[in-house]
Amino acid sequence: MLFFRSEERVREWCAAHDYPVRPLVTMDQLWTLATTWYSTRLQEDSRRPQPDEMRSIFAGLGLGGDFWHPQSNSFG
Amino acid sequence: MSFDTQTKLAIYRHFAETGQRPSLEVVAENVGSAVSSVREAYLRLRAQRVLVLERDGASIRMAPPFSGVPTQHVVIVDGTKYFANCAWDSFGIPAALQRRGQVHSRCEQSGEPLNLEIGLDGPPPSSWLFHCLVPAARWWDDIVFT
Repeated sequence: MLFFRSEERVREWCAAHDYPVRPLVTMDQLWTLATTWYSTRLQEDSRRPQPDEMRSIFAGLGLGGDFWHPQSNSFG
Repeated sequence: MSFDTQTKLAIYRHFAETGQRPSLEVVAENVGSAVSSVREAYLRLRAQRVLVLERDGASIRMAPPFSGVPTQHVVIVDGTKYFANCAWDSFGIPAALQRRGQVHSRCEQSGEPLNLEIGLDGPPPSSWLFHCLVPAARWWDDIVFT
């Protein structure tokens, strides 16, 4: 899970390592993910989102498809 | 509060206050229990995916979003230096602390430095991007690589 300056840099990095290019996430989307996962982490009743909650969170950000599906069987 | 929750909070609060991982002995002292009991709690917390341990079963590698070891993702909050496990977690540290902070990292391809001021409402408008190589269903197969 890495930062890149632009989509072009992502494509260069993936090509150099023979990796597939995955869906790109903006900084605003990343902040929403970070706050959703971690804003209660220091509290007694905190817990990680469950798979169905994860799907809902991702979908709300426009991050859909098998790549963001926490229980997908599409990736071996 | 359950013993596992006490242990988890002792770990996370130590990270929050110091930026460093606590030793097993420090956690045991903070929860008022034997080291052996805390070690067993560590394994249960690992199963809940709120803790990643080194091979010794005692040293904390990750208490997401905090990293127990130095990484390229550095976060400064109120003068305290933290290491994050990944780009996502670098935003997660100010989110967890509910404080403003500075995130310092880099473009993985070009090496260009990233320096972002994170406010209580998040980062300023930015054209930087986040890329996750591993599909969500496989993240915990090897969370360090992810």
